[in-house]
Amino acid sequence: MNGLLAAPRAWIETFGEIAGFCGQVLGQVFGGRVFRFFGEALRQAGILILSSTLVICGLVFIIGLQCGIEGAYFTRGTGTPTYAGVFAAWCDLRELVPYAFGYMMAAKVGTGIVAELGSMRISDEIDALEVMGINSMTFLCATRLLASWMVLPFVYIASVGAGFFASYLAVVVQIHEVSAGGYSLIFWMFQNPPDLLFSAIKAMAMATVIVLVGCYYGYNARGGPVGVGTATAKSMVLNIVLVHLIGMLGTQVFWGANPRAPIGG
Amino acid sequence: MSRSDFDKDRPDAEERPAEAFRDDEPELAGEPERAEVDVAGYGLQVEDAETEAPDELDGDPSSRISVVSESRPRTDQEEFRWHTGTKHSVEGVEDAIEFLDVHKAFGRNRVLRGLNLGIPENRISMILGPSGTGKSVCIKHMVGLLYPDQGDILVHGESVPNMIDDELFEMRRKFGVLFQDGALFGSMNLYDNVAFPLRQHTDKGEEEIAEIVNGRLREVGLGDANDKMPNELSGGMRKRAGFARALVLDPDIVLFDEPDSGLDPVRTALLCELIKEIHEENGGAYVVITHDIASARRVAEFIAVLWRGRIVESGPAADLFASENPFVRQFLSGESQGPLGME
Repeated sequence: MNGLLAAPRAWIETFGEIAGFCGQVLGQVFGGRVFRFFGEALRQAGILILSSTLVICGLVFIIGLQCGIEGAYFTRGTGTPTYAGVFAAWCDLRELVPYAFGYMMAAKVGTGIVAELGSMRISDEIDALEVMGINSMTFLCATRLLASWMVLPFVYIASVGAGFFASYLAVVVQIHEVSAGGYSLIFWMFQNPPDLLFSAIKAMAMATVIVLVGCYYGYNARGGPVGVGTATAKSMVLNIVLVHLIGMLGTQVFWGANPRAPIGG
Repeated sequence: MSRSDFDKDRPDAEERPAEAFRDDEPELAGEPERAEVDVAGYGLQVEDAETEAPDELDGDPSSRISVVSESRPRTDQEEFRWHTGTKHSVEGVEDAIEFLDVHKAFGRNRVLRGLNLGIPENRISMILGPSGTGKSVCIKHMVGLLYPDQGDILVHGESVPNMIDDELFEMRRKFGVLFQDGALFGSMNLYDNVAFPLRQHTDKGEEEIAEIVNGRLREVGLGDANDKMPNELSGGMRKRAGFARALVLDPDIVLFDEPDSGLDPVRTALLCELIKEIHEENGGAYVVITHDIASARRVAEFIAVLWRGRIVESGPAADLFASENPFVRQFLSGESQGPLGME
């Protein structure tokens, strides 16, 4: 019986550790301690902008094309090609753009943080920071979280734009069964500013979780290079699960009770 | 986070349980028959029956080179029979760091087992001991990277385990630490690595920082390597750069974690000379962790011999090199015969 309970007990223990760690990092950001290292936060923000914006927008662009193509062929099949914008609007803003953003954040930013902090841990760089009298958690983790909050809303809005543009290209330019005006009318009718806000909240929740999980696994890596590799894999698994959980909960909370669709008056 | 559980209980390679190392050893096919021999009271030992000692040593079992493993648990009395704990005092010098009955275990592996040690002010002290006896764990306790399960560590009379985070970070500014591989930040060049503590802890302008950093880098012979990244440096250069960074805030206490590891004898000698020169210039308590006896002869003014988590004997280097304690004598002469085996 004890053997059967060992695995769930270990998961709960790990979950508790991660929650405690996240609480400490969030406390350092909200408590203002992180602003002692604002320069480092700016540096991390610069790294995020330069290394991740293009790749996130690129992936979301492809997802936008996919939503457009799917919407155009589906509405053609039902004899309502002018309504391709409905599918594209919902697919882009509510579901696939946040997911694509989450996937790329987990794959690029999350694993990058684990690898960087993990290698710092095993080469004693984190201990070196500590003995210099610098709170390594604030310097390494809280600054990364602050940087992500400073940068990622804008990156997300840019990626949403890339997705919208891609859907437009697929429906209007490539498949061309609806005019530009007809597509835009329906596309914009089925979304409004609060939808964009909800979508951004979903994406930022994903981004926050991904950065915190990455920091946890990197900061606590042990066991040499193999340990860093294992930590990277674990973080990726957990992040993908959490991205889907947040996506599902977000949809339920923001659009579950009220789908916010201009149908039936 | 300075005192998180993640930090506190993170065992290093050196802290791995002895069983773990034994498990790593491949089993040899056709291993020769083993016989148990109690060698001169040094404990129950197992030696290869086919590895006979030369005839002239037959009458003196203690002279045999033997592979030793523990076949039964030892009592504390047996384990610590050579630990006299004698401290040859350094007159007129106060202790900068004190360990008071410190115990530390990682799981079942008890690393420090009642460590009592005083590190004198203004001396180059060396903590010597066989691999895996807790030397690096000692250093981590001094700076509060690890906390004792029991006992206390005092730095200039203040208890490290009882400090709150802010006090701990303040206290750490007294320290400069040279880690085994330098622990330079991989994302910064050499200049920025050395300038980092100054930028974080002082209000000095860039010109003043440049003056200090360039001075320190010249001092360790890296005046021309400002722009190099850590991965472009040799092991010796990384250690010297780490030394420059450790010194840049003019610390009261400088800790060196095996500065000689991975260096050839000449570079080890040069690094030791550098430590001596810089100590003469700056003063302070320098603590060097090593198991290299040549380095100890070259730079140590005070020596503490650590084994099985306790001090065997400590005192001025000259007293220790003249010690009658069989363990200290064996270790400081680097001989294979004596109480210390391959355990």
